[in-house]
Amino acid sequence: MTRKRLVRSAVAAMLVAGLGSAPIGVAHTQSGPPRPDVKRGAVIVTQGTARGAPACAQCHAFNGASDGSGAFPRLAEQSSYYLSKQIRAFISGDRVNAVMSPIAEALSSDDIADVSAYYAAVSAPFPPLPAADAALVKRGEELAKVGSAAKDIPACDNCHGPGGAGEPPAIPYLAGQYGRYIAFELHMWQRGFRKSSPEAMAQVAKRLDDQDIAAIAAYYQQVGSGADAVASH
Amino acid sequence: MAQRLKPVDVVTIGVGLTGSLTALELAKTGLKVVGLERGAPRDTVPDFQSPAIHDELRFSIRKAMMQDNVKEAVTFRNSADQTALPLRRWGSFLPGTGLGGSFVHWNGQTFRFQVADFIYRTHIEQRYGKKFLDACGPDLTIQDWGVTYAELEPYYDRFEYLLGTSGKAGNIKGQIQPGGNPFEAPRAREYPTPPMKETYFGALFRKGASDLGYHPYPQPSANLSQPYTNPEGLALQQCVFCGFCERYACEHYAKASPQTVILPVLLEKPNYELRTNCQVLRINLDSTGKKATGVTYVDAAGTEYEQPADLVLITAFPLNNVRMLLLSGIGKPYDPKTGEGVVGRNYTYQTVGGPTVFMDESININPFMASGANGTMIDDFSGDNFDHSQLGFVGGQYVGAIMTNGRPIEFHPTPPGTPPWGLEWKQAVARHYNHTVLIQQHGTSTASRLNYLSLDPTYRDAWGLPLLRMTFDFPDNDIRMSQYIADKVVEIGRAMGGTTVARGGTKRPYNATVYQSTHNTGGAVMGDDPGTSVVNRYLQCWDVSNVFSIGGSAFPQNGTYNYTGTIGAMTYWALDAIKNKYLKSPGPLVQA
Repeated sequence: MTRKRLVRSAVAAMLVAGLGSAPIGVAHTQSGPPRPDVKRGAVIVTQGTARGAPACAQCHAFNGASDGSGAFPRLAEQSSYYLSKQIRAFISGDRVNAVMSPIAEALSSDDIADVSAYYAAVSAPFPPLPAADAALVKRGEELAKVGSAAKDIPACDNCHGPGGAGEPPAIPYLAGQYGRYIAFELHMWQRGFRKSSPEAMAQVAKRLDDQDIAAIAAYYQQVGSGADAVASH
Repeated sequence: MAQRLKPVDVVTIGVGLTGSLTALELAKTGLKVVGLERGAPRDTVPDFQSPAIHDELRFSIRKAMMQDNVKEAVTFRNSADQTALPLRRWGSFLPGTGLGGSFVHWNGQTFRFQVADFIYRTHIEQRYGKKFLDACGPDLTIQDWGVTYAELEPYYDRFEYLLGTSGKAGNIKGQIQPGGNPFEAPRAREYPTPPMKETYFGALFRKGASDLGYHPYPQPSANLSQPYTNPEGLALQQCVFCGFCERYACEHYAKASPQTVILPVLLEKPNYELRTNCQVLRINLDSTGKKATGVTYVDAAGTEYEQPADLVLITAFPLNNVRMLLLSGIGKPYDPKTGEGVVGRNYTYQTVGGPTVFMDESININPFMASGANGTMIDDFSGDNFDHSQLGFVGGQYVGAIMTNGRPIEFHPTPPGTPPWGLEWKQAVARHYNHTVLIQQHGTSTASRLNYLSLDPTYRDAWGLPLLRMTFDFPDNDIRMSQYIADKVVEIGRAMGGTTVARGGTKRPYNATVYQSTHNTGGAVMGDDPGTSVVNRYLQCWDVSNVFSIGGSAFPQNGTYNYTGTIGAMTYWALDAIKNKYLKSPGPLVQA
C-alpha cells in the first residue's frame, strides 16, 4: 500500500467513524444538523423535552439497560428503525401502554428519530438476575430454536435470528431481553391489545399457552447474559 | 425372496403432491391405503426450521432435497444418435425426494392452463388450418388431452382452495375483472386469498408493460398473502418474504405443501399407513399381464417386501412415473423409429429464460426480500393469445418480473462483457446486485416424435434396475417462438427504464446441466386413443385397469404455465372418477 493510499484509507476510516451512528438510508440534507442527531437524543434521554416528555433514562437508564424490574424493555443496541417504529405505534394506538403512550405523544418526529438513534448506539451490560428454572429454560430453548410441531409454531429464531440476536432493522433482538417484558408483550398480542405485526406475532402468540410464554421469556432473558452457557450445553 | 405382506386396498408409489392428495381422498372413503415414499419423513417442525433451512450451499448448490442421483440418476442425450450419460449432479431440473416430494421445494407459482391448451390440436387446426402445424415442423406430435378445461374447472377451484392460493381473478364466469389477468380461462369465483403485495421490481414491470399496451397482473401464489384455513381445517400463515422458497422448505407454514395442507389430516387416518425410505422396484402383474397384484419394494434395511393391493396409483415425480411403467412392463414402450408404442412418447419440458434488465444505481431493487411467486406478469404472449398465422410457430410464453430470491451464492447478475472472475467481476457484482431486474419468459414445450423417455441400456441404479434415459432437444418451433417473444420483452425492459437489457430466449442445444425448470412433462400421456396415449382421460392405464399414473407425466405436451395447479386439478378429477365410478365397478372406465 502506498503512503498516499494509506492516508486516504485513514481519512475514509475517520469519515466512516463519524457517520457510524447514522443508520443506512437516512438522507442528509445540505444544511442544518445531520438527522438523526444522536447528541440531541442524549439530551432528551437525560432531560426530557419542553413539550413535556420526561427523561427516558428514568425508566430505561442512560445505557438502555432499563432498571432490571422487567417492567421496561432493554433498549440498548436495538435498531433505531425498530425503536422509532414502536414509539410511533404508541402514538397510533397499535401499541397501548398507560405510561408509554402519553410520553410518545409528547415526542416530535425529530425527537423520536434522535432518541431511537441514541439507544441504538449505546451498549450496556446485562444486570445480574435470578436464575430461572432449568427445565423451563430448556422448554423455552426448544420453542425458540425448533418450534412446536404439535401447535404449528415455527421457531422464534426463524425471524429473530440465531439465539434471538435480532434481524435488524425490522426485527428486534430478544437475547437478554427481560423475561417479564417478553411475556407481557406476548400476552398483549394474544389478547389483541398489541396490534403491530398482526400477520406474524399475533398469529404465533395465539397458539402459545401461558406455560409456553413463560418458557420463551425465561429462555431469552438468560441468552447473552452469561447464564445461557449453562442452558445451551 | 420378498416377504409377502397383508393385502391392502390401495398403494401409492410416492407421497408427494399426488400421492398425499389421492391417499387423503381414498382414505376418507374407508379404504386401507398405504403410501410408499422412497425418501425420509420430514415436517415443518423440526426439519424446516431456520437457520439450518437457510443453508444455501446445502440446499441450492448441493441440492439436499433432491432425488439422490448417486443411487438413482437419469441418463441424458440430445438426440437418438448420441450415447446417453448419467446426470451425476442435477442441473436443468430438480426432482425432489422425501415426504412431500417436489411439492415441498417448489416456488408456489399456482396457475391454471387455458381453454385451448386441452384441445390444442383441434384449436390450432380450427384457427390456422390443417396445414399450419406441418409448416411449424414435420416432427411435432401435438394432440388433445381427452379432457376439457370446463371439465377441470371445479377441480382447479378445489385445489386452489386447498392451497389458499393468493391472487386476483381476471375472469369470473366470463366477466373480465379489473386488476386480474384478462386472458385467463373463466373461473367460478375469486381466489381464496388476495394477491401478495407488489414488489418494487413488479411495479417497474407493471409500468413498463402498461406503457406498451400490455395487461399486467399479480402472479398467483401459494405463499400466502394472509392467514388462511383450508377446507381440511389446516391453517396457513402469511409469507414473510424471506427469499427461500424454491429448493427449500418453508419454515413459516406460509407455503402450501403436503406438510401444511394435506398430511396433518391424512396421517391421523387410522386406515392410512405411511412407510418412508421404501423404494418401489416394480408393479407386479398377474399371468394375464392385464391386472396388477401389488408392488415390490425394498425398505431402508434392504429387506424386500411384496405389498399386494387391489389398486396401484403411480404418484411419483413425472419422470419416475414413466420409469415405473417401463420397469413394470405396463404399456408398449415408444419406438421413435416406427412411431409406435406409447410409454415414453411425447416427453416435453418448458421453454424458459428471459432478459436481465440493468438499472440505474438510484433504483434499489432489494431482491433478497422475496417470495417464490410474487411476480407481476403479462399473458399477452401466452399460449395462443396472439395471432400466429404469419409467424410459422405455435405456442407462447408468459412474461413477468418474477424474482424469487437474492441469495448471495446464486444471485449476482453482471452485464454482458463483464469478466467471469476477478476484481472487475467483483466490482460489477457490487454495482449491479441491488439494481437489476430479472424478467422471466416461461412457456410452451411442443411435443416432437424425436423426444422421448426410455430405459437406459447401460446404466443402472443402486438396486440394479435400468436408469431412465432422456432423449431431448427443443424443436425448432420452440426456438422460433421463444426468440420472437425475446424481442418483445427487450422492449419491456427498456420501457421499465433499463440502461442495459441483456436479451433472453431459448437456444439449442438443450443443456441439461443448467437450471431451467422442474416441469418435466409427458411420457405417460392421457388421451382418447390408446394408440397415442398411455392413460385414458381419467389417468387410468389402458392396458392395466387397476393402475393409474397420476401427475405431469400425463400432459400430452406442456402449456405455458407452471404445472402444479393443473396436476392438482387433474388429480382431483381422476379421484372423482375413481371414487364415483371405478370403486363401484372396477374395470376400464373408458372402452378402448
